[in-house]
Amino acid sequence: MAINPNETVLKVEDLRISFKAYGGMVQAVRGVSFDLKRGETVAIVGESGSGKSVSIKAIMGILAPNAVIESGRIEYDGMDLTKVSEEDFHKIRGNRIGLIFQDPLSALNPIMKIGKQITEVLHLSKKISSEEAKHRALELMHAVGIPEAERRFNQYPFQFSGGMRQRIVIAIALAGDPEILICDEPTTALDVTVQAKILELINKIKEERHLSVIFITHDLGVVANMADRVNVMYAGKIVESGTSEEIFFEPAHPYTWALLSSMPDLQTKERLLAIPGTPPNMIYPPAGDAFAARNKYAMKIDFEKEPPSFKLSDTHYASTWLLHPKAPKVDLPDVLRARIERMKGAK
Amino acid sequence: MMIDKNKGLPEEILNLPESSFEMVQTDEIKDEKFKTKPIGFFKDALLRLQHSKISIISFWIILSIIILALIVPNITGFTYTEQDLAKRNLPPKIPGLENIGIADGSRVLTNRKKDSLSDTNRYPEGSIIEIVREYESKGVAMVDVKVDAYALAGIEDDVYHWFGTDYLGRDLMTRLFKGVRISLIIAFFSVITNVIIGVIYGSICGYYGGKVDMFLTHFAEVLDGMPYIVITILFMILLGSGMLSIILALCITGWIGTARLIRAQFYRFKGREYVLAARTLGVPDVKLIFRHILPNCIGPLITRAMIAIPGAIFSESFLAYIGLGIKPPEPSIGILLSDGQSVLLQYPYQTLFPAILISVLMIAFNLFSNGLRDALDPTRRGEE
Amino acid sequence: MVKYILKRIGAMLLTLFLIMTLSFWIIRLMPMSIFENPATPPDIQKLLMAEMHLDKPLFVQYLYFIKGVVTEAEFGTSVQIRPGMDVFEILASRIPPTVLLNIMSLLISIPLGIVFGTIAALKRNKATDNIISFLIVICISVPSFVFASVLQYVFTFKIPIFPTLYDTQAATFAGTMHSLLLPIIALALGPMATIARYLRGELIETLSSEYLLLARTKGLTRTQATVRHAFRNSLVPIANTIIPLITGIMGGSLVIEKMFAVPGMGGLLIDSIMAGDHFLTVSLLIFYSTISLITILIVDISYGIIDPRIRVGGGK
Repeated sequence: MAINPNETVLKVEDLRISFKAYGGMVQAVRGVSFDLKRGETVAIVGESGSGKSVSIKAIMGILAPNAVIESGRIEYDGMDLTKVSEEDFHKIRGNRIGLIFQDPLSALNPIMKIGKQITEVLHLSKKISSEEAKHRALELMHAVGIPEAERRFNQYPFQFSGGMRQRIVIAIALAGDPEILICDEPTTALDVTVQAKILELINKIKEERHLSVIFITHDLGVVANMADRVNVMYAGKIVESGTSEEIFFEPAHPYTWALLSSMPDLQTKERLLAIPGTPPNMIYPPAGDAFAARNKYAMKIDFEKEPPSFKLSDTHYASTWLLHPKAPKVDLPDVLRARIERMKGAK
Repeated sequence: MMIDKNKGLPEEILNLPESSFEMVQTDEIKDEKFKTKPIGFFKDALLRLQHSKISIISFWIILSIIILALIVPNITGFTYTEQDLAKRNLPPKIPGLENIGIADGSRVLTNRKKDSLSDTNRYPEGSIIEIVREYESKGVAMVDVKVDAYALAGIEDDVYHWFGTDYLGRDLMTRLFKGVRISLIIAFFSVITNVIIGVIYGSICGYYGGKVDMFLTHFAEVLDGMPYIVITILFMILLGSGMLSIILALCITGWIGTARLIRAQFYRFKGREYVLAARTLGVPDVKLIFRHILPNCIGPLITRAMIAIPGAIFSESFLAYIGLGIKPPEPSIGILLSDGQSVLLQYPYQTLFPAILISVLMIAFNLFSNGLRDALDPTRRGEE
Repeated sequence: MVKYILKRIGAMLLTLFLIMTLSFWIIRLMPMSIFENPATPPDIQKLLMAEMHLDKPLFVQYLYFIKGVVTEAEFGTSVQIRPGMDVFEILASRIPPTVLLNIMSLLISIPLGIVFGTIAALKRNKATDNIISFLIVICISVPSFVFASVLQYVFTFKIPIFPTLYDTQAATFAGTMHSLLLPIIALALGPMATIARYLRGELIETLSSEYLLLARTKGLTRTQATVRHAFRNSLVPIANTIIPLITGIMGGSLVIEKMFAVPGMGGLLIDSIMAGDHFLTVSLLIFYSTISLITILIVDISYGIIDPRIRVGGGK
């Protein structure tokens, strides 16, 4: 497969998703747009509840029944995924777009043999003979780094460790040979030591199989090693997007600053800076900038009017009034400035 | 809206007043207050219970039956023990309904010699309503005849047995509601006893843990392994029939479920920091159990108790059926059902009323406890 | 797995032993002992005295009793119902009808319960689900003996398509079943509803589980994922409900047998209780416990075979 680096494989445009709940409609995603180019890794970063997982579920067509896609498009291969019927969607899921789950403990069927969980899809949707399917599955298990694949093939999930289970989940996601791989916080539920190995694995298979990857996480530290481009999400919106370098070295949105400051690193002597306050109630999203109430640098206008997305470079955008010409000049917080210097030095 | 800063801003954005760009967050930022009103656990449960129409209806049905059980036996004008052999097996007769042909105290007698109808000793005047069928058998003219059973038994016109009478001429409505009263008393008392034993047993297991827990849990498991019916029957044989015996027999294994629940809750909560904190402060065991741990179990406990009530009503009826019910002449739903069953084909009404009542009562209790379980389920908080 | 089975069998034997012990002491400690009952014929009283070793101390009597039951299936002698007859002989002829009735009820209720539960779960919160759920509540709430009364009145009296009582003279198996159908239905409705309700709950939970989501994201159609993952997984815990159902059916059959005059253990038990023939009662109870414990053992072991987490061991 020839790779054209500028070819867009997936494009999300102005996606809005709400959930019906007790107190009203929860506006989980409020106009999200991003795209994924062939062969690259795009990260979506944000706190829990920022709407990142919901956006992914919309792409996979597995939104909960009480979710409503209010507007927007998800363009993939000439289709709008928001309008694809359930009958057609299963040909896309797994075979064109694969998903790695957050929690490998609950993602595997507890009473089905591991091997069968991998071969099942080959059998059912690709009509491959069981011999061939088993062969393919063993190859996959080997590829994701499972030792003694032959023996493991006939075991059950509870006989695997967390990291091994995540490898199985990855093998399952790869079984259908997808071109896009979506990783939904793939390392959150794992031990720190295992995390790095899984990330390495994802990078390796991405290279080998020429995958385009969407990587969801709340951990900027993970992003640094993985992503070509980063979208920072807050309260259902993308507040800043740019290449990894731009986000890490020239962050423009106070929320990105806060995220970067709250990241632990070895050199930092100061206390870790937590982000004060709690995310807004999404049944009544605030007027203006949703982050204003927690923002040290909030201005009057932040509470009144939603900021437009200011373009900083061809790839770098940020939605904050601080970029307005009339706004007072605000320097990066000192802690962050020091840290960026260090990171640049390390690079 | 995407804006390229270098290409100039649109007018309305460029012209925003300077004052809009004043910094406002000078104080320390505090956690945002919730915009929705906080709702307590029980208020939330009550709210959801009220949303469930079925639960509300069930609640009112249960309440009405309880009220009827309290009132009816005192206002029928009969007592539940009053026998009158002249009034044996009278069919239901209800004022008002009798005029439209339902519950009019009539009965069809089959295979009667036609000649005998004119015998006013056997058929007093006005007792024959109509001849349903005439036929001949072995040369004798025979009839099926619909009679006023009340007139036939020589009872005054103004006597009404709404649900009829039984084989001893006792008023069945009085006995039925008296029986409901007794069945409910048995159910409530056995359930309450079971909850108390279960809570104490479970608390001891859960709080002390270790060897005590192991021993007590094994004991409960062994007891639970024995078939419930066998144990209950054995104890009923030992204790002899009677209300107290039934309550006791229902308590022999009934508490195990509650104990298990409480024990599990203890294991969940006793390691929590707030309990440890209270313990370091020297709060005594008893207070720790009742103030800090048990309140967490109230939801599941209430649900369990509610579900156990129809179970106890069923068990009581079951025991009555196998001859281990309460002592006659006291009635209970089970006694009435099993008495009625023996004459089901001749006098179906004697089974009909207790059957309807026990069914309605059991359905209402089950539906209400389902609603209660959903309402008290902490994972469903906030759901509609 | 072997350890699991041995453990189960051990528990069963212990339970049986306890029931025997309890039975013995309850009979011997009853306030109005059968041995002093003036209604008992003197010759039988003598027989009992000898058989129960009444001249020995209580504890020795107990050992004799246990030895008799275990080694010779010697349960004692009927006092009232068939005076002088060996209890085991009375029992033997009563077992087949009871077992037939119970097993048929269980065999009918399980598949029907599974079908209704699945339909309700798949049509969750739609009209079909509401109707099924309503019927489930009725079937669970209304006692089996009330169903039996209704069935007996309607289908043997008003619309006489079934015999009112069990046909002991039936020439064929079909004839026996014809007269046994109403009691079977009366007994099966409750367990059927219990299974349906349980499966509905389980299925709704597995349908929203992560692994079902994974099954769908790997490219299975909704039907494939539902059948292969949700349905299969929901069936495993059903075994848990089957054990209480067996005890429920066996209890219900005590009463139902009497109502339909089925010559099984139930009717005999009621007769013996009413007549105060305690030897017979106790032996019936011990027998009854044995049957129910063996059934439970079978279910337990098959559950272990179905669920790999128990079979392979180590998992939760």
